[in-house]
Amino acid sequence: PALRARLVAAGFQTAQELLETGPCGLSKEIGISKEEALEALQVVRQECHGDAARTTGGSGTTRKCTALELLEEEQAQGFIITFCSALDNILGGGVQLTKITEICGAPGVGKTQLCMQLAVDVQIPECFGGVAGEAVFIDTEGSFMVDRVVDIATACVQHCQLIAEAHQEEDHLKAMETFSLESILSHIYYFRCHDYIELLAQVYLLPDFLSEHSKVRLVVIDGIAFPFRHDFEDLSLRTRLLNGLAQQLIIIANDHKSAVVLTNQMTTRIGQSQSTLVPALGESWGHAATVRLIFHWDNSQRLATLYKSPSQKESTIPYHIT
Amino acid sequence: MDWNQFDLNPKVIAALKKADIKSVKEILNLSGADLQRLTKLSSADIQCLLKTVSYTLRRNSMLTALQLYQDKDHLTSQHQKLSLGCSVLDSLLKGGIPLVGITELAGESSAGKTQISLQLCLCVQYPYKYGGLESGAVYICTEDAFPSKRLQQLIDQQHKLRADVPAEIIQKIKFGNSIFVEHAADLDAFHNCITKRISLLLTRGMVRLVVIDSIAALFRCEFGVSDSVTKARYLQTFGAQLHSLSTKFRTPIMCINQQSSNTFFHSLVDNRVIPALGISWANQLLMRLMVSRVLQPEQSSGAASHHAGSVRTLRVVFAPHLPLSFCYYTVKLEGVKGIK
Repeated sequence: PALRARLVAAGFQTAQELLETGPCGLSKEIGISKEEALEALQVVRQECHGDAARTTGGSGTTRKCTALELLEEEQAQGFIITFCSALDNILGGGVQLTKITEICGAPGVGKTQLCMQLAVDVQIPECFGGVAGEAVFIDTEGSFMVDRVVDIATACVQHCQLIAEAHQEEDHLKAMETFSLESILSHIYYFRCHDYIELLAQVYLLPDFLSEHSKVRLVVIDGIAFPFRHDFEDLSLRTRLLNGLAQQLIIIANDHKSAVVLTNQMTTRIGQSQSTLVPALGESWGHAATVRLIFHWDNSQRLATLYKSPSQKESTIPYHIT
Repeated sequence: MDWNQFDLNPKVIAALKKADIKSVKEILNLSGADLQRLTKLSSADIQCLLKTVSYTLRRNSMLTALQLYQDKDHLTSQHQKLSLGCSVLDSLLKGGIPLVGITELAGESSAGKTQISLQLCLCVQYPYKYGGLESGAVYICTEDAFPSKRLQQLIDQQHKLRADVPAEIIQKIKFGNSIFVEHAADLDAFHNCITKRISLLLTRGMVRLVVIDSIAALFRCEFGVSDSVTKARYLQTFGAQLHSLSTKFRTPIMCINQQSSNTFFHSLVDNRVIPALGISWANQLLMRLMVSRVLQPEQSSGAASHHAGSVRTLRVVFAPHLPLSFCYYTVKLEGVKGIK
C-alpha cells in the first residue's frame, strides 16, 4: 500500500507505464531500492498477463492461435458482393472483410462509383447474401454525390425486392421491411477531409468510432492519393505518413472485421522508350494493400484487372456502369 | 498555439511546450517514436494526445448520407447547382455545374467553349430561384483578349434567352458590373492572381464563379516534353489551390482546356483528339465536359438536320454523378441553347 501511494504520487497511472520504465527507472523515480522495484514489477507483470488472458482483442496483447484456427476464421469471413458477378468472381467472392483492397485507375473510370456501390451493398441483409453492415465513407476529393448514391441504393432495393417476391420466404420479406432507401442512406457515415492532416486525424479517431458503431463493415477512403500528391516537398515524410496510415488501417480492418477500400490515382512513369500508367504514391505504398484492382480503358470498354491478390490469380474482366 | 484549450493532462501540455511543438500539424506529422523522444511522455500519453488533438480537429464532421440527401438549404446542399441558362443543357448535367470542385470544358477551337463560359458568367448573377448564385464572376484570360463585345450582345439579349425569368428581375441585375476580368499571361501572374486577387474577391462575396480561359495556354509555351515532371508539379499545385478555394467558398471553378493531338498519354475517349495537360491535371477534376463540332454517329435525323452546319455537341466525359451522355446545341445571338 505504501508502495502504491508512492507510485500514484510519482504520476504512474497504468501498469503499462510501470512496465515500460523498468526497475532502474522505477527505483529512481519513487525512491525505493532496486530489489523492491523488481518485486513490484513482477507482481504487476503477473497481473497484466492475467488480464490479458481474460480480455480478447485488446491492443497491446498478443494472441496465440494455430494456423488451422486462422484458416477457419478466414473461410468464415464474409464478402461484400458488388452485384457484378464477373468482378465478384475474380475477387473470389467479393470485397473481403479484414483486408485492404485498393482500386486504382485513371479519372472517370469508375472508382468512386464502385465505392458508392460497395457502401450500399455492405448493407444488404444476410438473407440475400450480404453482410448487413454499415459503411464509413471518407471523401478527400469531394466526389461523393449523394444523388448518385440514391440511384444506386434505389436500384439495389428494387433488385432485392424482386428476389423477395420471387422466393416469397418470410425472412426475405421481413428484411425488406427495414431495407429501404432512407435506412441505407442513414447508415452511410460520411466524412469530408480537406487535407492530409484532417485525414490523419480522422483515421486516429476511427477505432473509437468503429467501437461505437459496431455494425460498420466497410471503411472507404475515396482518394488516398489526392491529399498526399500536392504540396509535398518532403517525400520521406510522405512515405512515413503513408506507412503509418497503412498500419493503422490494417489494424482497423482486423480488429473490427471490416473491409477497407482505398482508391488511388494513376501517374505516368516515363520509361526508356515509352510511358506507362502506374498507380500513384510510389513503390512502397504498393505493399499496403492486400488486394489491388486496376481499372482501365480499352477503346471504349472498361476493364478491371486483379493485379495483386494473395488467393486469386491475375485476370481481367470487362464491366459497365449502369 | 494555446495548448490549454485542448482537454489535455497538464503534464502533457508542459511537455509539449518544453519540446517547442507549435501546432497540431507538427504533432500529426511526427511519428509516435519521435513524439515520445521529444516530449518524454509514455506511449499511453501519446495515444491520448493524438486522440484528443484529432478529436478537436474533427469534432463535428460526421454526416450521414441521408442528411446530405435531405439537406435543402441552398448554402450547404449538394442539390444546389449553377444552371447554364438552358433547360436542355441543365438536364444533361442534372441541374447544372456542381458548386464545389473543378469542372473542365475541353474541346477543339471555336466549338463554343468561350460562349458557354460567358453564359455562365451571366447565369451566376441570377437569384437562387432561377439557378444562379446571386453573385458575380471572375474571368481570367490567359491568351486572347476578353470578348467584351460579345458579352454586351449577350447581356442585351438576356430576356430572350431566359424566358423563364420575369423581365423586372432581369432589368434589375447590372450584369456588366459583376464580371471581373483578369489577365494572366504566364505562370507567375496566374499564381499571383489565384492567391491574392481572386481570394480577395471571394472573401468579400463579390464573386461565386471563377472561369479560367484557358488553362492549357499557360503551359503550352513554357514546358517542353522533358519538363513534364515540373509541369506536373505546377499543375498539381494549381489544382490544389483552386480546389481549396472552391471548397472554402463553395464556388465552381470552370477551366477551359484545349485539344492536344499528343498521343503520348492514354486517350480517355474514343476519338483521336484528347484534352491537353494529361493525367496529372485530369486527376484534379471533378467533372470533364467536351464540346465539338462533330456530330455523333448516332445522330437524330429530325432536329439536328435543321441547323446543319452549326450544331455542336456537348458531351459528359466523366462525372461522378452523370452517365456518359451528350446533347446538341447551337450558338445563337442570345447565347447557347440546347436542342432536344
